[in-house]
Amino acid sequence: MKRLAALTIAALCDAAFASAPPGQPAPGFTITDLEGKPARLEDYKGKTVVLEWNNFGCPFVQKHYRSGNMQALQKRYANDVAWLTVNSTSRSSSDYQAPAVLTKELAGFHAEPARYLMDDPGAVGMAYGAKTTPHMFIIDPSGKVVYNGAIDDKRSTDLADVKTAKNYVVAALEEMKQGKPVSVASTTPYGCSVKYP
Amino acid sequence: MRKTTLSFLFAFAALALATAAGAASTFKTEHVDAELVNDDASAVPGKPTWVGLKLRMAQEWHTYWKNPGDSGLPTRIQWTLPEGWTAGEIQWPYPQRLPVGPLMNYGYDDEVVLLSELTPPANAPEKPATIKAHAEWLVCKDICVPEKGDLDISLPVSKSPPKKNPMFQAHIDRARNQLPVPVPGWKSEASMTAQALVVRLTAPEGAEAPPALFFPDQEGLIEPAAPEKVTRAGRVLTIEMKLADPPPKEVKSLAGVAVSDSGWKGSDGRKAYDFAAAVGATPLAVGGTTETPVGGSVGGSTLAALAFAFIGGILLNLMPCVFPVLGIKVMGFVQHAHGEERAMKMQGIVFLAGVVLSFLVLAGLMLALRAGGSQLGWGFQLQSPVFVTLLAALFFVLALNLSGVFEWGAFAQSMTSNISARGRYADAFLAGVLATAVATPCTAPFMGAAVGFTITQDALHSLAVFAMIGFGMGLPVLLLSYFPALLRMLPKPGAWMETFKQVLAFPLYATVAWLTWVLGAQAGNDAVLALLAGLVLVALGAWLQGRSVNATGIWRTALAAVFVAVGIVIAVPTAPGDREVPMASGEKWQEWSPEKVKELVASGRPVFVDFTAAWCVTCQVNKRTSLYNFQVAKAFADRDIVTLKADWTKQDPRITAELASLGRNAVPVYALYVPGESKPHLLPEVLTPTLVLDEISRLPAAKVAAVTPPK
Repeated sequence: MKRLAALTIAALCDAAFASAPPGQPAPGFTITDLEGKPARLEDYKGKTVVLEWNNFGCPFVQKHYRSGNMQALQKRYANDVAWLTVNSTSRSSSDYQAPAVLTKELAGFHAEPARYLMDDPGAVGMAYGAKTTPHMFIIDPSGKVVYNGAIDDKRSTDLADVKTAKNYVVAALEEMKQGKPVSVASTTPYGCSVKYP
Repeated sequence: MRKTTLSFLFAFAALALATAAGAASTFKTEHVDAELVNDDASAVPGKPTWVGLKLRMAQEWHTYWKNPGDSGLPTRIQWTLPEGWTAGEIQWPYPQRLPVGPLMNYGYDDEVVLLSELTPPANAPEKPATIKAHAEWLVCKDICVPEKGDLDISLPVSKSPPKKNPMFQAHIDRARNQLPVPVPGWKSEASMTAQALVVRLTAPEGAEAPPALFFPDQEGLIEPAAPEKVTRAGRVLTIEMKLADPPPKEVKSLAGVAVSDSGWKGSDGRKAYDFAAAVGATPLAVGGTTETPVGGSVGGSTLAALAFAFIGGILLNLMPCVFPVLGIKVMGFVQHAHGEERAMKMQGIVFLAGVVLSFLVLAGLMLALRAGGSQLGWGFQLQSPVFVTLLAALFFVLALNLSGVFEWGAFAQSMTSNISARGRYADAFLAGVLATAVATPCTAPFMGAAVGFTITQDALHSLAVFAMIGFGMGLPVLLLSYFPALLRMLPKPGAWMETFKQVLAFPLYATVAWLTWVLGAQAGNDAVLALLAGLVLVALGAWLQGRSVNATGIWRTALAAVFVAVGIVIAVPTAPGDREVPMASGEKWQEWSPEKVKELVASGRPVFVDFTAAWCVTCQVNKRTSLYNFQVAKAFADRDIVTLKADWTKQDPRITAELASLGRNAVPVYALYVPGESKPHLLPEVLTPTLVLDEISRLPAAKVAAVTPPK
């Protein structure tokens, strides 16, 4: 089992930059959460999954956490979706935070994602083509990507913009709830670049 | 205590001095020094004047262009101006590519001046106006810091003509020089295919297209980190960029900046070309397929192309397939160096005409077929096994002759003795045709650039280029015929000629060997056997003919002719194209079919396709250097990539169609299909092992990881 995990990680390490466009199957992954427990995408088959790329050192992420926006979303959809926050910050980056530090950060912000996943080799991020923090993906219960892009339409670090922005993730999740196809399935993500190795 | 008071005093004095001296206030953060800079020392009422936001970044930190690339935020300026003043948009100097890991940003390091045009009202009072700006920028290195500052500058208003402000002139001039400008005489075109955005710039007559990079104004249009593929052919510059995934919808027009370090002809040395074009529905293939309108006169760049074609033609004489044929011709001249001058000149002219006409016929045929929808490249005739067989037989006969197995009969005596002038001319013309026909196998790779040029030109220009190649190729013989003095510089006819002639046979034998291999790839082992058996009979015939030099040999000549004829009949493949194409044993390359690619990709396996042809020399070189390289083969195996070979050695409409759908019309093409991605990755035409390994290693991780599903 250990060897298998090592193999998986070795394979992941050689990754290259790809993408996960809407309509395509979401790339599968097995990574660990803050407690070191493995998390697999396929564990959430049959459920809607939200992937949120995160780095608390990034001012764009801070905008959505200091305004309470991201936590509010995590709570609002806690029953309907599996909210997975992914951190692809490389260990060599000055933005890197260890799991213990991140646990404190999350508590400090009262954030409640279903899981917080460590992707410091960057493999999952690269498989999805996650470019910025935040960068949001929504995966439908069949395992297909249905949204790929920005959290909202106000590209800024200004906390006040959160109120007036059109939130694409909310729009998509509401449409899915009503059984409608997601009308805006892809936007250009904004934020800091993901700190890949 | 006293000491402290003193230092306070000093500090205060220093501060006071600094404030008095600094007319323009500098706003400093940890990473950026920002200030407003004015171009004119004073503003004239009603007339625009330039004011810039100067950002000086700490080392390794950068700010962003209007399209920041994969991440980041463009700098913003909010002006607070006196009553009646107006401010224009930020004029962005062209950006740099700033790589961040696997991502790419467009922005500026070191220093940037973002100029805006400010206009005071016509009734502005003649007194200093306070210009205020609230600027926000994101400055990043490894980490990003959003910063903002309130800046101001005092700008006198005066009706007298303004002087330049010397303080910031160098900075402002630098920024102004980096603004994109429209360049007269250049033509901009753009098109979008399923996976690529293609920009094409055509230089005015007499100019050459420089190498350049493209930055689109719109975000999310392309993958900024993907390398831009730049192709230049004469006046035409093509930049192919990978479209974003998912690709943008409904792109009707494209605006951006093309940046060339060597500048654009007619732009006064400016490096940034202001690009705008409608995005065409018909794809502009790289290298171009649509016709470029051509003016009535032959312009400078066409002249350049003609000059290159001419030089290329001269060089063709040194090619291993051509040299022996010319050798024969020159030998004839040597024998005649002291003969009738006028007849020799005529022979030279007729030979040249033969070469040029053959080039025109071949090029015309290629253009006509291409206009008819066939995708053909130079050397297309080598796709026919019959043609290859006949060429091999012809070369073999020529080689036997050079080796001295036999002498030509009456036919070729025209070359060496004085029969009728008419016979000699026919012979010279045929020699020209022959030289061209045999030249094509050698020229196919060599002519790439010329053919590339003609693709973007109309038929007339293309034919002119091909005619020029022929002219260059025939010219040395023409010169020899006109200046027999040159020939006299050669040693007198004698025993050396026989030796020289025999040596010339070997390049021809080598060409026969190569053609046999080509035929093997086209029509299989049986065809090779038939060809070789045929060649044995041809050799027997030649030998018989060689024995018949004495007068009684008429029967032998007849018999020889029969042998040669039977030999050729045996050699020519009976049903060309119907035979199986066997793959060389030991190769892990399977035969390609579009269905196979679809099936494999659908089943989750990556597929690498080598579009190749036996007559394509680049393809063979790439195989040897890269594809069959040990490490590459191992990497293919490690990643479970299925390798397929699409062999275009003989015509195959499925391959032609597939190439067209990839936007190509020639081999080699290398495509890597990745499961989950709708479009394949295309590799360059010239491969290196590192390049292939890099491309393979870019396969998405999860798809690779999927091979080891945890249980």
